[in-house]
Amino acid sequence: MTETPELPLAEAVGEAAVLRVYQQVFAVLAREAGAMIADPALVDVDEAILGAFADAGTEGLAIEQAVLACRQFRPGLVQRRFEVLREYGAISRLVDRPSERFHRAAFAPYVMLLFLRRMAAQGGQSELHQLLAMEHLSVKAENATAADGVASAHRLTKVFRLLANELGILVAGSPVETLRDNAQLLWGNRELISQTEEVHATVLKKWPELGRDCAALRIALAAYGDAVESAASRLLEQVGATRALGLLPPEAWLSFARSADEEKLAAVLDQFVFDAPAPWFSPQALMEAVESGRPVGPPRMAPPRTDVTDTGPETGGEMVDDAEDLRALAELILGERNEVRIPEILNEAGDWLAGRRVLATVTSIHQHPALGYELIWEDGLRIEPGASPSWVSDGIFRRLGISRDDDHSGAG
Amino acid sequence: MTEQPLALWWAKARSAGPLPVALGTAVPTGMLRLAEPDAATAWLLPVLPDGATPSVLDELGLPSLAVEHPNDTARVLAACVRCCWLDQARPLWPGSAAQLDEVATVFGATTGREPMALNRALLGAIRRLAGAGWLLWDEATRRVRLGPRVATWSPAELSTLRELCRWALAGARSAGAGNDHVSEEGQR
Repeated sequence: MTETPELPLAEAVGEAAVLRVYQQVFAVLAREAGAMIADPALVDVDEAILGAFADAGTEGLAIEQAVLACRQFRPGLVQRRFEVLREYGAISRLVDRPSERFHRAAFAPYVMLLFLRRMAAQGGQSELHQLLAMEHLSVKAENATAADGVASAHRLTKVFRLLANELGILVAGSPVETLRDNAQLLWGNRELISQTEEVHATVLKKWPELGRDCAALRIALAAYGDAVESAASRLLEQVGATRALGLLPPEAWLSFARSADEEKLAAVLDQFVFDAPAPWFSPQALMEAVESGRPVGPPRMAPPRTDVTDTGPETGGEMVDDAEDLRALAELILGERNEVRIPEILNEAGDWLAGRRVLATVTSIHQHPALGYELIWEDGLRIEPGASPSWVSDGIFRRLGISRDDDHSGAG
Repeated sequence: MTEQPLALWWAKARSAGPLPVALGTAVPTGMLRLAEPDAATAWLLPVLPDGATPSVLDELGLPSLAVEHPNDTARVLAACVRCCWLDQARPLWPGSAAQLDEVATVFGATTGREPMALNRALLGAIRRLAGAGWLLWDEATRRVRLGPRVATWSPAELSTLRELCRWALAGARSAGAGNDHVSEEGQR
């Protein structure tokens, strides 16, 4: 009977929660399928109609007046809701006769409406808390009887069984998205359970004979606790490390990332400052890079070689070695002696030109590694101003090792 | 300037590089204002003391920020310095604009690669450098200018650069000489 306008999906999701609670509560009232609330907008119409009655005062309203007062809605819609409300008894004629045009409204539907709005906004949890608090007060009251205790325990048992069943079915057989949408069933469960346990303790202490009813309540509570835990663990499995059950599902993020334009994507990071040091180039590094990159020209070919196998390097020219000449010169200088003093051989040489040649010879004999002669300079200095070398420093030219051999032979 | 806006400026400069501002903006402490040649806008560039520049990382042997293709990028920057810093007696900033072809010639002389690979490496390096504020790259006119960040090089480092332009890139000079003339005229 009611028209269901084509709502965009996103809008429908927001209103689905309101509608669900509304339908659950009003299901007992809907005698006809057509009168069932199937559109959250109708709740607004009901509220507007009841508001119009509140403004009308004691004279009541005719249906035309109500339509006029609710002109933000379509007249047909308002009339239909008016009829539905009248059928349910929320609105009745001022005087019960067929021609009566003026109506009055009951206060209860509006209270119900308020209650529903709160339930819809907070998922019914706070109402459940208040209900528990009231149950606790009533069983604690002085004049409470065992019958009150039984009734209270039964009511609470039913509430928690319903909660646990609903949750358990969702956990066992629903996609995780449905479970996430119904996560309100999980909220505040710890306080619910502890409050109920208080009621249970009070009842059991006051009327020990109600053990069976209390046991049923305990079982319902435990079932609810189990259902909550399994639901939470299933949700956590899906969410990953984060504990935020209200986070958007990954699909929502994916579609956001795909469909958002640049500005929207950038806006996500508006609040953040990133540490982004720039790369640094020192002139030295530039220099090195340029030099290392310098092309070395075309690759060089190896020089051509003969095909014959390499016979090794040719022997170079003969090593020039004057060892034999030097040895002969040394023997000439030393003669029979094993050692000779430098001033003596200079005297033998005579003038400085010859002496210089002798000195050069002696020095090169000393420095030749293969010859066993040595030249040792000593501290003494002979000075003769008139002589050709005017000064001669002391020194010895001798055979190497000979003196030792002499010592040995002497000892022998 | 009080502490908080100052810290904000530095954070901005650190996250976004040199900041373009209107010419009348007060210069935060420790920042250098580099006026654009058109004298309408300026760049704010954080200037660090000598002992605190990123080159200290090299001295300490610590890894510095990784750049993609570091050698090619450095070579392209060198080529841009060579092409945009025509009067080496004056500071690097603002320099003059150079055509991309001119830079490509100098860069090509430093690597000796085939033209396709050369062009790819050149454009990649120019975009990287432009992103970090070392170059200003005008994609539409295909012109390159030195970015504000070159003003952080110290005078001692500038002598290295002069040497680089005179000797290391000397071979490229003759190749790019004709273009130099054109770009100078185009600048006026």
